[in-house]
Amino acid sequence: MSDRNRKGQRRPARVVREQMARERRRKRTLWTSVGAVIVLVIAGLIGWGVSASQDAGDFTPPGGSNPEGTGIVLGSGPINIDVYEDFICPICRTFEQQAGGTLDQLVAQGKVRVTYHPVAFLNRFSSTEYSTRSSAASGCAAQSGKFREYAKALFDRQPPEGSAGLSDDQLVEAATSIGLAGDSFRNCVRENTFKKWTEHVTDEAARAGVTGTPTVLVAGKQVQPSAEAITAAVAAAGG
Amino acid sequence: MTVTERTTASTPAPGHRRWRAARPWLGTAARLGLAAVWLAAGGSKVGDLAASGRAVSAYKIFPYDLAVVIGAALPFVELALGLILLVGLATRLAAGISAALLVIFIAGIASAWARGLSIDCGCFGSGGDLAAGQDPTYGTELLRDVGFLVLAGFLLVWPRTPVSVDAALGRDTREEESDDE
Repeated sequence: MSDRNRKGQRRPARVVREQMARERRRKRTLWTSVGAVIVLVIAGLIGWGVSASQDAGDFTPPGGSNPEGTGIVLGSGPINIDVYEDFICPICRTFEQQAGGTLDQLVAQGKVRVTYHPVAFLNRFSSTEYSTRSSAASGCAAQSGKFREYAKALFDRQPPEGSAGLSDDQLVEAATSIGLAGDSFRNCVRENTFKKWTEHVTDEAARAGVTGTPTVLVAGKQVQPSAEAITAAVAAAGG
Repeated sequence: MTVTERTTASTPAPGHRRWRAARPWLGTAARLGLAAVWLAAGGSKVGDLAASGRAVSAYKIFPYDLAVVIGAALPFVELALGLILLVGLATRLAAGISAALLVIFIAGIASAWARGLSIDCGCFGSGGDLAAGQDPTYGTELLRDVGFLVLAGFLLVWPRTPVSVDAALGRDTREEESDDE
């Protein structure tokens, strides 16, 4: 005990032993560190690989799309309006109820050209990726020229955040309620016909700097998502 | 005074002796706590890598394509870091990387705050713009990350904890009271 604590009395063999132990410890630290770094680098590469393999790739835009395939166009007026919505976002529903009629009116008056971007930002708020499924289903409705009617039907039936969302059957039921043929719509939903399109719409929205829903742009400039702000911005743009 | 008494006196106050006894267990708690933080952070993001990329992109710091890569890699790195800390492998290095990541996160949140962005930090899932009428909680997010930074700092200074891979590997060569890694 006492010779451990009094350095001067350590025997040479002990000093050598301790030096060797220190050396072993240094090597061990080096190798565990190298191992840990390798694990972290591999983890990062896995993430990169997984996300690259999830890239949207080839997609088929539904009827009524803009040329870029990033949204559904209504109207042909001189002023462009872009609306980014997610069908499970509660404020998008409020926006639809408060300002949807105004937008329809501006389209009917020939003042504006509205592009609706049904993005899937909020998949984590449902257990069945309802944002993606509902957006892809809205593509099925757009294919039959009824995007707008279907969007309203979906907002009327909006499931709460954190739920499973509407089932495929309920998505089809919403379509038949606005006069679409159930069978072909069911096939469109079942075969994920427009899922890749939804991914493309979502990626391009994020690339355009849209980070939340609802986002409304009038002539390329973001405005508050309200009927008043949209009307004012359209008037300011000469509409 | 006898020789034995003098050697025990080299650990001066009783408080210091208690600190020495408690330190490995405080370190274990810090290690497991930090591991839980990383596992929760990575686990909440790993299911939706596209959303994680959008959360990074919402900070408007990186170009979109780079933000997507960072957003995809980050959850996996966080999970790996959590596992490394959980088993206690290369604890000092893992704590150092944790601290570096946390400093980057703190800088990112502070910069979003300074630029007046209205986003969710995306720390544990979520992320992106806040809904109208929802206020950002940058202060809370920063305080929380500083708390995690304290855990990492503790492990950076005192990485040695019982019941860890480091301890198991070092059993044959351990020197008494040494905190050299």
